[in-house]
Amino acid sequence: MAAEAGRDPRAWLAVDETAAAFLSRLLSSRPPITLPPPLHRSPLRPGNVVEIAGPSNSGKSHLLLMAAVQCILPKEWEGIYFGGLGRAVMYLDLDCRFDVLRLAQILRNRIAEGCRSAHLRNGDPENDGTKDEFQCSLENTLFSDCMQRFLYARCCNSPEFISALKTVKSQSRREVSSAGIYFVMIDRHSIGAFYWIDRGSQPARENKGRTLQSITESVVHELRKLLQLQPALVLVTKAPIYGEGTTTANDFNRVSSKYILADSTGLGYSRQEEERTLSNREYMPSIWQSFVTHRINLQVEEAEVPSVLESEVLPVHTSEWVQPYLKTKGKFSIMDDGVSLIQ
Amino acid sequence: MAAAGGGGGGGGRATTSGCGLKRRYSPHDKEEETMNQDQSSKEDWCGRLWNGMDLLKDVTENKHVLPTGLEGIDTLLGGGLRQGQLTEVTGPSSSGKTQVCLHSASHVAVKHMGVVMYLDTSNSFSPSRIATIIDGTNDLSDQRGFDLPHKERLKTMMRSIVCKSVFDIFGMFEVLHQLEVSLLNDKVKSGGRKICLLIVDSISSLLAPIIGGKYPQGRSMMISVAMILKKLAYKHNLSVLVTNHMVSAGNGAVKPALGESWKAVPHVRLVISRVHGSNICTATVLKHTLLASGRTAKFVVPS
Repeated sequence: MAAEAGRDPRAWLAVDETAAAFLSRLLSSRPPITLPPPLHRSPLRPGNVVEIAGPSNSGKSHLLLMAAVQCILPKEWEGIYFGGLGRAVMYLDLDCRFDVLRLAQILRNRIAEGCRSAHLRNGDPENDGTKDEFQCSLENTLFSDCMQRFLYARCCNSPEFISALKTVKSQSRREVSSAGIYFVMIDRHSIGAFYWIDRGSQPARENKGRTLQSITESVVHELRKLLQLQPALVLVTKAPIYGEGTTTANDFNRVSSKYILADSTGLGYSRQEEERTLSNREYMPSIWQSFVTHRINLQVEEAEVPSVLESEVLPVHTSEWVQPYLKTKGKFSIMDDGVSLIQ
Repeated sequence: MAAAGGGGGGGGRATTSGCGLKRRYSPHDKEEETMNQDQSSKEDWCGRLWNGMDLLKDVTENKHVLPTGLEGIDTLLGGGLRQGQLTEVTGPSSSGKTQVCLHSASHVAVKHMGVVMYLDTSNSFSPSRIATIIDGTNDLSDQRGFDLPHKERLKTMMRSIVCKSVFDIFGMFEVLHQLEVSLLNDKVKSGGRKICLLIVDSISSLLAPIIGGKYPQGRSMMISVAMILKKLAYKHNLSVLVTNHMVSAGNGAVKPALGESWKAVPHVRLVISRVHGSNICTATVLKHTLLASGRTAKFVVPS
């Protein structure tokens, strides 16, 4: 190093590129992505790692599916504007709870909606409810095109997960053609499972010591290598862990009900808030926490929203950006074909 | 280190561990096995990346829906129990959970859809009740057109229901491992009748005792069992039906047992309840991968 520096120190200090050139290069190779709500509040670019946390049934997997559909739809197709990204999605299912029919349902609804609005714009009065053969085959071609861009792998435990990441990396190296992987989605609701299993293993027995720490390190290592090879946006879901020593919501209620005789709604609400803060305890090792760049928390509210059909009431979900911190909490509810924002 | 890792990695090759199956799944021995299998698991992985269209094709061709025979439940579930998914039926005691299991088993037997494996943890399996249910169905005429006497037909149908008793979690691991091995060996045989439905009546009675705070491995064993069941369902096109009981949730309310960690495991969750003294039960969907939750339906358990 010293010899090289001695040879030409001025060259070492020469400018690589100006800030303007850097910014324009970054914007072209890693353009900002707009995800469907409620993930749209923060600007996201490939290379970011977003962690979606929340208790069970708060809509995390649904958000992943929405983002996946957004990614695999093309921007424009046969004159119809869809606003998608047209890139591939890699879905790693650690939960084994993915239902491809649900993805197909959402995709078909989006395609049908796009075609319908295009027809309305073109002013076709005769095509209100009927679809001809040509239309159907057009939609089917688009559907199969989009589904080809969706890649899926399921893992049942940590070693499988790590080898899956290695396979993804080697496969993407082989595919030199365009349409590389743009999103990586990891559905690890039961990462808690791996947490308990890995935590239970005794590190003192082996030289390699497969503890939770080392597993997480290898996972982060593999992900970083993958991101270096191919910049992608990583979306991860996480479920809260209920520790053995901590009191669950039950015990909390039972203890505090003795002292709180009057059921004032203010107190009741604060009790619920405390339950939630109790459950959002961070349990992943610090190497994972520093790897994650964005965090969003989802919750289910008890309030009901009147919907179109009288017999059903849709539960309201709230989303809260923890990192970067946004003061406003978004509210949304999950419909059959997407997410509708409630203000 | 991962219990499912020992089972999942060792499923494809002959197990060479000298120790008995019970110790095979204990937390201490897992590490050595996964160490040896780590290198080969990497090669195992090539080609396991699926495409959206391949997934869809697999689901429509291989994974059919098994109707339970109880109309209300079938409508709620969108046809019945789907293969490749884990369905959970939960409810307070004597609300009809075992009846739902027995009905599904008999319906599969009557329609000759395949073999049913019934894992019974509380001696609630009753062959006479199955015979009554089979007799009660109108569709007893043999589709193949053979003219067998009534008893013969009943015998062939009952033979397709295999019942095993398990009383603790280690027995469960053993049974599931044997099932996995036999299914992998059967893959070369074509035809014959394959198992299509796996029922675990009261999985909560196996798991609830070990989840408490005193036994640290309890939660990891619960998740291991869940992963093994889901893997079996997915790989061998089984439909898995488990039952769960209810515990109190404070303030007089009840909630399903096995806690928050179990909530993420089943694909479909149903809650059933029965008015005391009547045959009419109500079922509510707690969670479903495809349809909206919260819908209810009533169904009648014929006596």
